[in-house]
Amino acid sequence: MLRTIIDRLLLSIPVLLGVLLFGFLLLQLVPGDPARVVAGPTATPEIVAQIRQEMGLDRPVLVQFWAYLERMAQGDMGRSMISNKTVTSELGAAVGPTVELMLASLVWSVPIGIAMGTAAAVLRGSLADRVVMGLSVAGVSLPIFFISLLLIQYLGVVWPIFPFIGRPGPWYTPEGFMALFLPALSLGLILIGPVARMTRSSVLEVLKLDHVRTARAKGLSEIRVVLKHGLRNALIPVITLIGLQAGYLLGGAVVTETIFSWPGLGRLVVGAILSSDFTVAQGAVLLFALGFITINLIIDILYSILDPRVRK
Amino acid sequence: MTLAATDPEDITAVTEEGTATAAPPARAHWFRRLLRDRAAALALFTLTLIILGALFAPLLAPFDPASNSRSIMTPPAWSSMGEPQHLLGTDGQGRDILSRLLYGTRLTLLIGFVAVGIGGAIGSLIGLLSAFYARLDPWVMRGVDVLLSFPAILLGLALVAVMGQGITPVIIALAVSSVPDCARIARGIAVGVMKQEFIEAGRAVGLSDLALFNRYLLRNCISSIMIFISLRFGQVVLIGATLSFLGLGARPPAAELGMMASQGREFLLFAPHIAVIPSVLIFVIVLSANVAGDALRDVLDPRLQA
Repeated sequence: MLRTIIDRLLLSIPVLLGVLLFGFLLLQLVPGDPARVVAGPTATPEIVAQIRQEMGLDRPVLVQFWAYLERMAQGDMGRSMISNKTVTSELGAAVGPTVELMLASLVWSVPIGIAMGTAAAVLRGSLADRVVMGLSVAGVSLPIFFISLLLIQYLGVVWPIFPFIGRPGPWYTPEGFMALFLPALSLGLILIGPVARMTRSSVLEVLKLDHVRTARAKGLSEIRVVLKHGLRNALIPVITLIGLQAGYLLGGAVVTETIFSWPGLGRLVVGAILSSDFTVAQGAVLLFALGFITINLIIDILYSILDPRVRK
Repeated sequence: MTLAATDPEDITAVTEEGTATAAPPARAHWFRRLLRDRAAALALFTLTLIILGALFAPLLAPFDPASNSRSIMTPPAWSSMGEPQHLLGTDGQGRDILSRLLYGTRLTLLIGFVAVGIGGAIGSLIGLLSAFYARLDPWVMRGVDVLLSFPAILLGLALVAVMGQGITPVIIALAVSSVPDCARIARGIAVGVMKQEFIEAGRAVGLSDLALFNRYLLRNCISSIMIFISLRFGQVVLIGATLSFLGLGARPPAAELGMMASQGREFLLFAPHIAVIPSVLIFVIVLSANVAGDALRDVLDPRLQA
C-alpha cells in the first residue's frame, strides 16, 4: 500500500521535471528579447542590458534553467509584465475562484451522471437507455461556449434570474452563490455525458460478475442488488475516469471563466496570452499542469485504497 | 507448404490471403452494417453534406465572406425583418452569414483534418514501433503517459503564448494532443498482428526489419488504425473551434466557426442568430462525427467500446 503510493510519487517526479522544462522553454522561445519586452519600447540600450543582466539572460542556458528551478522551488515566478504584481500573487488570487467553480460544477453533475448511467445500465436496451446514451453523445458534442451563451440568453437576459458577469463574492455569500449558479451549471452540463457513459459501462461490467448472481440467487430485491452489489463496485473505475476528465474540466473552465468574466485561472491565462504577458501566462500554464498532475496522483492513490486488487 | 523455397514477395501474397480468410467474415460488409444503424447513416449523410458544402464553398457562397454590406445584423430571410438575398442574415459587420458559414466550415474542418492527420501519423508510427521493438515498449509508453498529462487546451494555450495567435499553433497543439491516444490505439492493434505466425515466418526467411515492418506489420494494421484514429476527429474539431472562440486560433478577417460564434456574442441580446447559427453547426458536425464514429467502432470491434 505505502509502496504503491511511494512508487506513484516517484513516478510523478520526471513528469514534474518535464513540465518545468516545458515552462522554461516557453519563456526561452518567446519571440523577441524578453529583456526588451520588460524594458518597454522607449528604453535605452543601457537599460535593456541592465535588465538582461538582472534577469540572468546573459548566462548559459543550463545555468539559467538551474536558476529557474531554484526560483520555482522558492515560489518565485517573476512579475507580471503588465501589472508589475508578482505572478505568485496574481495566481494566488485566481486559484480560489477556479477551484470553487470546478467543485460547484462537480457537486451536482457527478451524482446526476452516475444516476443516469446506472439507470441506463439496468434498463439496458430500453428506450430510457437509448435516451441517456443519446443525451450523453449530444453532451460531449456540445461546444461549452454554446451552452454558456444559451444559459446567459435565457436565464440571464430573457428571464433575468441569475447574474452572469463576474464574481461579487465567495459562494457562501448570497450574491456570490447566485453568480456561481450559471457558470457552474454550464461547466457541469458538459460533464454529465461522460460520467453517465462511464457509469453505464462500468455497472454493466459489474452486473455480469459472479457475486451479483449470488446476490440475486439469495433473493435480494433488484434495487439492492444494483445499488449495493453493482453500483458500489462499479464506482471505483468511475472515480478514476472522473480523474481522467480533469483535463476536460480544465479546458471547460477556461472557456466558462472567459465567458462569465469569472476571475479565475482560465480567464487569467487567456487574458495574459492575448496581452502578451508571458510571465503570467507561463505561471498559469505551469499551475494548470501541476494541478492536473496532482489530481491524477490523488486519484491513483485513492484507487489503490479503494480497490484491494491494485495493492501489491 | 514449402515456405523456404519461395521468395519473400510470394510470402506476402500468401500471408495476405491468409489474413483475409482469417478475418471475421462480417468485416467485408462493415459499411453495409454501419448503414443499417439509422442514426449512424443519418450522421454519415449529414457529415458528407457538410464536407461537400465546405469543399465547394467558393462555388456555393452567394457573397464574398469578408465583404461588408449596408444591411447590418439582418435576421434570417424567413423572419419578417429578413432580406431574401441574405438567407441566414448578416452579422455585426454586415457580412453574409451563409457565405461565412460555408468558408468557416472549410477552415474548421481543415484544422481538424490536418491536426488528426499529423497527430495520427506520428502517434501511429510511435505505437507501431513500440509494438515492433518490444524492448522499446515500456519506455515509449511511459513517454506517452507523460504526454497524456497535458490536456489539449492547455497545450494550445501554451503554444499560442509562445507563437502568437494563429491557426498553426492550434493545429500543432491539437496534433500533439492526439499523439498519445493514437499511439495507444496503434500499439494495441500492432501487438495483435505481431503475434501472428506470418511475422515469425517473415523473420525466418531472413527479411530485414524494415521489410518486415513495412510489408507485414504496417500493411496489416494500417486500415484499422486509420479508422480508429478517425474517431478522434469530432473532439479535435470541438477543441479547435473552442480555441478560436477564445480568440487564440483563427484571426479576423478569416471565417472560422468558433470565431464567428465569439463575434456574435456582443450581439446576443438583439441578434442572437449571429452566434447561434455557427454554434449549432459546430454541434452538428461534432455530433455527426461522434455518432458515426461510435457506430463504426461498434461494427468493427465491439471489444473497444468504452
